[in-house]
Amino acid sequence: MNASSLTSILIWLPIAGAILIWILPLSRYATGSLALLFSLAEVGFWIEQAARFDFTRSGLQMEERATWFGDLHVSYHVGVYGFSMWLVGLTVVAMAACTGYGFWVGRDRSRAYFGLMLLLTGATVGVFVAQDLLVFYAFFEAMLIPLYVLIGVWGGARRMEATIKFVIYTMAGSLLMLAAIIAYGLKSGTFDLVNGPTSASRWLFLGFMLAFVIKAPLFPFHGWLPDAYREAPPEVSAVLSGVIAKAGLYGMLRIAIAKFPDPTSFYRTAVLALAAAALVYGSLLAFRSTDFRGVVAYSSLAQSGLIALGLFAGTDLGFDGAVLQMVAHGLISTSLFLIAGAVERRTTTGEFRFLGGMARGRPALATLLMTLGVISLAVPGSASFAGEFLILAGVFQRAWWWSAIGAGAIVLAAMYMLRLISAVLHEARGSTVADEALDLRPGELALVVPLVAGLLFLSAWPAGISHHSFFGQSPAASVRSQFK
Amino acid sequence: MLGPDVAWYVAVAAVLFGIGALGVLIRRNTLVVLLSLELMLNAGNLALIALSRHWHNGSGQIFALAVMAVAASEVCVGLGLVVALNRRRLSLDVDTLSELRG
Amino acid sequence: MTGGAWLCLLAPLGGTSLITLCGTRIPRVAAAWIATTSVFVAFGGAVWAFVSLRSQNGHRGEFTTAWTWLESGNFHAGLQLFVDPLSTVMMLIVSGVGGLIVLYSIGYMDGDDEERRYFAYISFFVFSMLLLVEGGNLLLLLAGWGLVGLSSYLLIGFWHERPSAVEAAKKAFVMNAFGDATMALAFFILIAHTHSLSFVSGFGVGLSPTAVNLVALGLLGGAAAKSAQIPLQTWLPDAMEGPTPVSALIHAATMVTAGVYLIARTHFIFEQARTVELIAAGTGALTLLVAGLIALVQVDIKRVIAYSTMSQIGYMFLGAGVGAYSSGMFHLMTHAFFKALLFMTAGLAIHALAGEQDIRNMRGLGRLMPFTKWCFLAGALALVGIPPFSGFFSKDSIVASTAALGTWYGWIFWVCGIAGAFLTGLYTFRLWFLVFPGEPSPFVREHHHKHHGREGAWTMLVPVGVLAVLATVGGWLQWSPQWHPFSDWLEPAARTLAVAAPTNTQEYYTSVATVLAGLAGIAVAWAIYSERKLAIPAAPFWRRTLEHKFWFDELYDAVFYKPTAAFAAALRREFEEPVVLQTGPDLGRTTLETGGFVRRIQTGLLRTYVLFLAAGAAGVVLAFLIAK
Repeated sequence: MNASSLTSILIWLPIAGAILIWILPLSRYATGSLALLFSLAEVGFWIEQAARFDFTRSGLQMEERATWFGDLHVSYHVGVYGFSMWLVGLTVVAMAACTGYGFWVGRDRSRAYFGLMLLLTGATVGVFVAQDLLVFYAFFEAMLIPLYVLIGVWGGARRMEATIKFVIYTMAGSLLMLAAIIAYGLKSGTFDLVNGPTSASRWLFLGFMLAFVIKAPLFPFHGWLPDAYREAPPEVSAVLSGVIAKAGLYGMLRIAIAKFPDPTSFYRTAVLALAAAALVYGSLLAFRSTDFRGVVAYSSLAQSGLIALGLFAGTDLGFDGAVLQMVAHGLISTSLFLIAGAVERRTTTGEFRFLGGMARGRPALATLLMTLGVISLAVPGSASFAGEFLILAGVFQRAWWWSAIGAGAIVLAAMYMLRLISAVLHEARGSTVADEALDLRPGELALVVPLVAGLLFLSAWPAGISHHSFFGQSPAASVRSQFK
Repeated sequence: MLGPDVAWYVAVAAVLFGIGALGVLIRRNTLVVLLSLELMLNAGNLALIALSRHWHNGSGQIFALAVMAVAASEVCVGLGLVVALNRRRLSLDVDTLSELRG
Repeated sequence: MTGGAWLCLLAPLGGTSLITLCGTRIPRVAAAWIATTSVFVAFGGAVWAFVSLRSQNGHRGEFTTAWTWLESGNFHAGLQLFVDPLSTVMMLIVSGVGGLIVLYSIGYMDGDDEERRYFAYISFFVFSMLLLVEGGNLLLLLAGWGLVGLSSYLLIGFWHERPSAVEAAKKAFVMNAFGDATMALAFFILIAHTHSLSFVSGFGVGLSPTAVNLVALGLLGGAAAKSAQIPLQTWLPDAMEGPTPVSALIHAATMVTAGVYLIARTHFIFEQARTVELIAAGTGALTLLVAGLIALVQVDIKRVIAYSTMSQIGYMFLGAGVGAYSSGMFHLMTHAFFKALLFMTAGLAIHALAGEQDIRNMRGLGRLMPFTKWCFLAGALALVGIPPFSGFFSKDSIVASTAALGTWYGWIFWVCGIAGAFLTGLYTFRLWFLVFPGEPSPFVREHHHKHHGREGAWTMLVPVGVLAVLATVGGWLQWSPQWHPFSDWLEPAARTLAVAAPTNTQEYYTSVATVLAGLAGIAVAWAIYSERKLAIPAAPFWRRTLEHKFWFDELYDAVFYKPTAAFAAALRREFEEPVVLQTGPDLGRTTLETGGFVRRIQTGLLRTYVLFLAAGAAGVVLAFLIAK
């Protein structure tokens, strides 16, 4: 197989799978198995891609290009850089786990459900590999369609409200991005991200940034987040915070920072302030949340802020740390939401006042939640510690107070995560926790354990990502040179 | 040149158009409103043809033909609607037909 | 040599992984023996590293890197161990005392239904602690630092159905997270200036004075949090909620003394920031007095020993802070022996009394438990520093080195040290006289039970016996006026500053003073608690202050926790819910309302539409006319 076709395969394989599932009148079990098979095949192709990726070479790899509308200079142009490859990996692994979760809980209307999950996989991979702005936009919007249906049909009691909020917020941002894309494309005569020139226009930068800060999200554009994360089915919340949010952050790196160097430095302090606000604000609200998903949701807001802090630090350590943290946090929040789903299935609620004492007699649940919790609060030595350390060390070179704020927020993170762990696992048994509520079943373990194993592996070797995301010694220089 | 000056034709067309417009505005019977509409269209035709002759330019006549086609189709649809309304024993008073109120 | 270090580090990790992966498929006792074996294997590795380092000339130390752990730009941090005199001493203490305590746990935890989890945690703790002391750069040290905090959290909260244990565990973790954060900030300064965190000699040299002071302050913050020094001390007494072997291992012998190790390890930096180093010494002096005072009124046997630990670590900080690193480290070693011994004998007593910890109920226990009694006495005498017990040799050289400073603050430190010795004698022998001598109280008679006719399982008695011997003779290794192999060994890693090297005269008169002060403390305790010749002064205000531990908990609650919680709640109530979450719906509602207004134009009346049409046409015509 040709290495460069791997990128396209990663996009179109799941979409083909989705179409196949919609066409074939299969039973629920067969549909689920087929979808899982497709998502595992996707993981396999990604491993193949990672194995063939040449870290010693600069520039775009496994590139494919075909003219789409010639007169507008739009082409179907895809390919991967080191950092986008890691994000693709995060996507396919997290989506496989979430698809597996849907299979495990037996979602009804299975053909529609699994088709949408596969479509979402393809669209998200597309966002991370697109090298043409219109293709990027198409995939960015295409992610929204399956999400809209997945939350609106399979969500909780207030799902419609949550869905409408989510879609309108994101659409508002992405329409401005479309305007910015068109303006950029017409002015520079190409929509290509690799060959296109940099721009000094502050308006275009803001247009792009608005879409990304809503998607990520950063304070105060997170109005859609608490409802969507609470009302969506757990595996969809997992995808939202683990993967989709990273698309916004990836956009900041690939487009806003790389293509708009002057506006980036002009607005740097403002964006850093927003990011720091998201970090502190998210941590404080996580500390006051009264339910499992609320804590994880607001901690995701805080983490987005932290990653944005790293990206806009504009230093070597900041960029590397941000990419590492995107992957680490993606794995963490995916697994945490899946565990939240497992807890809710056993107790019917995620409210802390009805939970407690689940550790007794449920060693697998206790071990996994404890491991994830402590990795999530960045206990030194973990992958997320490595990421946060690099980010804060990177932003320290910009100004010391950003790091001081970040360090303070990490103390808060310890407070809210330990509160979550104790509220679910420790002290007296909660009123909804039945004695016979089971420990995690093998099916659930098979979904979460690989993610946790990935995190432990990253904890042993964070340099695997931090030093393999950008070509050359200096990530900042690589970004400045447009990854050439 | 034969016949009256072009101004007379235009004046007649204007009077016809005014009568039609008034009819549309004040009459409440659907059929009469349709009739008044036709009157307005024909007033327009008259003006087109008169001016076309005056300027020795055939476009006006062609345009009048197009207007007639539109008028014919409009009568088809309009009368069809009137018949349909009548069949459902609905009033033909335009003021009571306010389904489209927002 | 490096093989020994790796073996030492990885054996306990292997133990943890094995126990975790086997889960309930192995019997409880197998888990216990896996953990014990793994820690003793680690001790073997430590001995191997020590012996091969000794046979090297100059024994300066050696780095060994497995792979690059974290790398970015021009910053590298390897998964790197550093075997030098300082780290081998710590390896020996941690794995040696650790092994004895894990062995003791087999008996102590017998019958707990989550024994396997306990042994997985405790070998994970030993791994983390070894990572802390062996790490070849500050980042790995911080990793070990955080992981010992984590395992301390897990073990304090081991009995997780007790709300007090869970609260204590969280408190310990959060206060340590604060220390981790200040250390991380110090590292950021180092990275920004030198791009490196490795211990290669002379790291941190060439920083500006402000920067080096800030780095030292950050490190001191971490050290104070971990070692429970004022103002970050409040978590340690609460940590006694954990099982007693945990208190012995983590909260006495090893983890809490890590702050002293940190100062000794980073003395390059502290010496450039001499003011901060003296602040560390002052913190130690203050803590040793305050903790000694609080210990006087505690009634829980473990809390008394916990405050005594804080106080003794205060001595170590004092020693390391004035520059007598080897004296601080020596006291760290002897303290590990006698304090672990005290905790473990207390554990025997608690075990025999079915979990009772209140010393007011324990009078006369010695009659029923003679072995425990004599071992406790050995530990107590070592703690007070009565010759020839080990504490005498290590504590006195710390106090003597403050005399060597010869400055006004040196003399204040010296007086604090002597006063601390008096307090130590007083609170230690208060405990002794209340618990061991005399006729057994009714409570003791009623609740005491023997374990198969002995005072405990053999797995508990053997380690206690070994530590009792070590607490007695361990100090003979070095008597600084006459022989000092320990300081010589540490010299390549942490040489005592010239200003803090006492003369023999200073050593002698300090020894006399501390021993007399200790004996005076014992005498007062004897007079008050045994003979009842002296009454305890009434002073209700002071008593309440001590019982409330100088109101630190209340202060922090009022100054940090409550405002943060209130601020977060206010943010949620006043901003998140009304502003952020409502903006979307509000915008939607406004759009709907605007739509509703526009809707009124759509009357559905044909004539209105026509009128608008006509008016529009007229308007257009008019506009054209005017424009023309």
